[in-house]
Amino acid sequence: MDEVEIKKRVDEVFVEAFEIEPARLTSEMRIFEDLGIDSLDIVDLVVALQKKFKIQIRDDERVRKIRTLGDIYNFILTLKNETHFSEA
Amino acid sequence: MKRVVITGRGVVSPFGSNLTSLMDGLEKSKSAVLRMPGWEEYKGLNSLVGAPAELKGENAFPRKIRRSMGRLSVFAALAAKQAAEESKIEEGLLKSRRLGCIMGSTMGSAEAMNEAFEIMLPNHDLSQLSSMGFFKCVSHTAAMNVAQALGVRGYVMATSAACASSLQALGLGYELIRSGRQDVLLCGGAEELHPIVTGIFEILFATSTHFNDNAWLTPRPFDARRDGLVCGEGAGVLVLEDYEHARQRGADIYGEIAGYSTCASGTHLSESSREGMRACMDNAIQDSGLKPEQVDYISAHATATIQGDQAEAEAIRDIFGDRVPVSGMKGYIGHTLGASGAIELAASLEMMSRGIIYPTLNLEDVDASCSGIAHVQTPLEKEIKVVVKNSFAFGGINTVLVCKKLDAY
Repeated sequence: MDEVEIKKRVDEVFVEAFEIEPARLTSEMRIFEDLGIDSLDIVDLVVALQKKFKIQIRDDERVRKIRTLGDIYNFILTLKNETHFSEA
Repeated sequence: MKRVVITGRGVVSPFGSNLTSLMDGLEKSKSAVLRMPGWEEYKGLNSLVGAPAELKGENAFPRKIRRSMGRLSVFAALAAKQAAEESKIEEGLLKSRRLGCIMGSTMGSAEAMNEAFEIMLPNHDLSQLSSMGFFKCVSHTAAMNVAQALGVRGYVMATSAACASSLQALGLGYELIRSGRQDVLLCGGAEELHPIVTGIFEILFATSTHFNDNAWLTPRPFDARRDGLVCGEGAGVLVLEDYEHARQRGADIYGEIAGYSTCASGTHLSESSREGMRACMDNAIQDSGLKPEQVDYISAHATATIQGDQAEAEAIRDIFGDRVPVSGMKGYIGHTLGASGAIELAASLEMMSRGIIYPTLNLEDVDASCSGIAHVQTPLEKEIKVVVKNSFAFGGINTVLVCKKLDAY
């Protein structure tokens, strides 16, 4: 899974779970201020990313530092490099 | 004491997403009861019938409002929105501290609970659960979601007394407005159809099991061949308002609440009590200041259980004899449980306005145990000035509301 595929799958989560138009999904978008995600949505964002990438991130401290969509892409990429998670 | 009137009505029923479709179904003697696809997969579930409502229109609410709604809360919010619109409640009033909402249901969303357990139990893993599970599953899900969807800022309360939930919401609303605590309250209830819900009644041998292949023939309130209830779903919401407040803003008035009572039978969890039901009707009529002979129509609870129908018929006979027409609506739309009191009251008020009483569908041969009261078996044209609405719930809870035409007495 390369960076392009990771971005595609993360974007799918925002479209499917939060009904955000694909055109707005760019790296610099701040997830709270720009995309309108709130504290409850964060819980569901974590669940959706776990499901999409078959990973466990709920208790990963790095989740708390995420601010932008680009942070999510990079976080998932880092996880991939660390763990070589499933291509499924 | 202030007078309490009804200035708006909203209904989602198995016949459609408004009061007009409900009345059309009653007028045409339609049955909304179907054999439910897929229910035969549940072991031990012998009642395969239900009265489903169509889930549509939820996109009227933005995602952040919609995300916390299970099926019953969508029904509740749509009915509340309709009722507020019919009442022509302006934004300023809707968001004032003098307007609140009281919504009841038996429990939270059965579908959401089932989903949560299906996710969690196989591996006892909590990490995949959505943040919205709580908001869909809690007992005050309908009240909370209606308040969020409409921006309500006044009194909020969830009544939870199974089949009496929405009539208790209306009764509590009546008491709060009568005492001057609020000017306007959106009151009612909602429920959703799910095999778990029907299954709960099935375990207690309260469901209809003999009409799976001809579903339109059940439930059969007061009939000799009745064999239990059929669950339905939907929501009913009425706008209750201080009479002077309604007059000042020029609201249309669909009726006045004249009396209310809720009481426990104090005898048995599930066996209906003739004495308890009679006491509740007596108390509500006494509260209204009217006399039993002034009542023109009784909208019965009549779920089509063997014992419940008998006890209710006996209690009605004790007070009214065979002088007052009686009918029930569950033959048309099944038992909408926590929504039933409000949906059936909305329909009764419309019957009052039209001067017609629709009969009990599927009542062909009055059971001897339910005789001696004036069963309505064909449409009856009659001036209705006073309606008594009954709702009785498992747990030995009785609830009766008395409504009258404005200025009738």
